[in-house]
Amino acid sequence: MPATREPEADLSVLPKADGSARYSYAGYTVTGSVNGPIEAQRRDEHAYEAHVDVIVRPAAGVGGTRERHLETTLQSSLTQLILVKNFPRSLIQIVLQVESAPENDYVNTKLVQASLNFAIIPALLQTAVLALLSAAVPMRATATSAIVAVVSQDGASELVADPSPREVEAAQSVHVLAFTSQDELLLAESEGDFTVKEWDDVYDTAKRICCQSGATKGESIEMVLDEKGDNGPDMRQFLRSTLETKVVADLYWK
Amino acid sequence: MAQPTLTFPRPVFAKLSPHPFLLRSLCPQSESDPAGRTNGRAPREARSINIHTSSLSHAHGSAVIRTGDTTVICGVRAEVLPVASIPQFRPRAAFEEETETSKRAELKNYDLLVPNIELATGCAPQFLPGVPPTALAQTLSTRVYSLLHGSGMVDVEDLRIWKRQKKEGEMEVDEDGEEEREEQELVGYWVLYVDLLFVSFDGNPFDAAWTAVVAALKDTKLPVARWDTEREAVVCSRESRPLKVRGLPVACSAAVFLEKEYGEPGEGRHWILLDPDRLEETLCREVITMVVDCSSGETRIRAIEKQGGTVVGRELLRGFAGVAEQRWKEVSKAMQ
Repeated sequence: MPATREPEADLSVLPKADGSARYSYAGYTVTGSVNGPIEAQRRDEHAYEAHVDVIVRPAAGVGGTRERHLETTLQSSLTQLILVKNFPRSLIQIVLQVESAPENDYVNTKLVQASLNFAIIPALLQTAVLALLSAAVPMRATATSAIVAVVSQDGASELVADPSPREVEAAQSVHVLAFTSQDELLLAESEGDFTVKEWDDVYDTAKRICCQSGATKGESIEMVLDEKGDNGPDMRQFLRSTLETKVVADLYWK
Repeated sequence: MAQPTLTFPRPVFAKLSPHPFLLRSLCPQSESDPAGRTNGRAPREARSINIHTSSLSHAHGSAVIRTGDTTVICGVRAEVLPVASIPQFRPRAAFEEETETSKRAELKNYDLLVPNIELATGCAPQFLPGVPPTALAQTLSTRVYSLLHGSGMVDVEDLRIWKRQKKEGEMEVDEDGEEEREEQELVGYWVLYVDLLFVSFDGNPFDAAWTAVVAALKDTKLPVARWDTEREAVVCSRESRPLKVRGLPVACSAAVFLEKEYGEPGEGRHWILLDPDRLEETLCREVITMVVDCSSGETRIRAIEKQGGTVVGRELLRGFAGVAEQRWKEVSKAMQ
C-alpha cells in the first residue's frame, strides 16, 4: 500500500461498537472501537473515576511487550483527556487494531519485536481520539500527535516529519509529541542522541503540525507555498473537518 | 475546654488517606515544621545510590543497586551463538561499509542483547505470586531493551567471534591489512542475557533497573573465544577481557504531585518529586524520565519519556535537563 500523503479517516465504521474510527496516514491504518461507559470488572473498578482500558492488537501475531508499552502510554494519556470523574465505577474500553504498517524492505521483519515502536504512536492516538469522539464520550480536550525525526545528512541535521521506517532506523533521534487542544504538551517520547536545543526545534515543528488552528488559515497557506509544503499536515484542522463532514452527513435528513 | 480532636500516628494517616498525608507534609505548617516529603526528602532530592559489582559468581558481570528501599540485582551472562543457528543470517559483503546504523541493526536483528526484568513476588505488596508478568514488568523490559539498543553502549565488534586462518609462510608477514581481513571468517556471536531481579521495590523502578544494567555491563568480562579448526567448535580460554562500554547514560525520573486529588488537571499547585517512592508513585499520574549522558563533556539526552499529564511543558522539561545532569554526576561518582 502506498503511503498516503494526506491523513484519511472514517467515523463509525463498526456497526456494533459504541463508537469507532478508521484512520490511515503515513502507511499506517488503524481501526479503533470504543465501548463505554460500561460495567467494570471488580478488580478494575475505581470508586471515584472510570477505568480506561486500552488494548492494542498488532497487524500480525499476538501482542507482546511492545504492545503493553503502547497500551500503558496511551492509557495514561487518554485518561487525561476523558472526563473520567463523570463515570465512577465504570469502564471505557478502547480497542485499537493495526491493519497495516509501512513495510521496510531493508531489514528482516520479525514478527515479535521487543523495541519501542515510536512511529505508530501518533496513528494509535489519533484513532483513539476519533473513536472516542464518535462514541460521544465526554472529554476535556482532544489531542493531536506528531512524529519528528532528526536525520543528519552530510553533517547537517534536518527535521523530518512523519519519517519512513528506513528514516527512523537511520535517524539520530526520533521524537513523538502530543498536544491537547488547549496547546498543552500531553505526551513526549524521545529516543536517540540529541541536545536540549535540538529538542526545542523538534518541539516547534511538532507543535506547528499539531496545533495549527483554522483561524490562521490564510497565513498557513502562504507558509505552505513558501516552504514547499513540507510542514506536514494540520492535524487539528483535519480532526475538525473530519467531524464536521460526519455531522453534516448525519444531519442530512433535517 | 479544648475540642476533642482525632489524631492518628503517621503510618495510620498514610494508609487511610495517602493524598492529604503527602499534601500536608509538602505544605509548610510553621517555622518549626519545615516542608518536605513524607520520606524526609526535599522535592528535588533523590535517594543516594549504592552500587556493588561482581557479587554473582556464575555470571560474567553483575551488579546490585540499592537506592532507598529499591534493590535490584542484575546479572549478565554471555552465551555463544554460532552463525549456523541464526535463521536468516546474512554475512556482510566485502563492499558493504560498516556504519553505526548497520552495527546497531546487527545487534538487533540477531537479538544479541536480551534483557529481562522480573518483579519478584514479595518485593512489593502489589505483585502476586503465580501470575504472568505484569504490564509494569513488560513495559520496563521494553524500555530497557530499547535504550540498550538505542544508546549504542555495546559495540557488536566486541561480541563477534572470528575464525582466523593463517596460511603457511605468512605467519609473520602482516604488511597488508586487507589481506588479513580476508582470512578471517565470522563464526559466531556472544549473546548477552541481561537479567534483572527486583529484590525489593519502593518506587522508581526504571532508574534503578537502568543503573543496574549499566553497572553490570561495565563489570562484564567475556572469555576470549576462538574457533578451533580440529574440533570444529568455538573454544574459550581462561583469560577474559572486559567488555567495552561506551558512554554512561543515566536515567532520572520524577513524578508530578497535584494539590487536588480529584480536581481538574491544571488547577491548584503542583510539586515535582524527584526519584518518587512507592507511596508517591501511586498518588502521581504524570511521570517524566530523562536519560542523559554527560561523559563526553557536553550533555546529550538519550531518551525522554513524559506522559500522563499536562503540567510539564516546554520550560519545565528544559529545566529538568539540569536536574538530570546533577543526577548524572551523583551516579557517575557512585559507579567509580
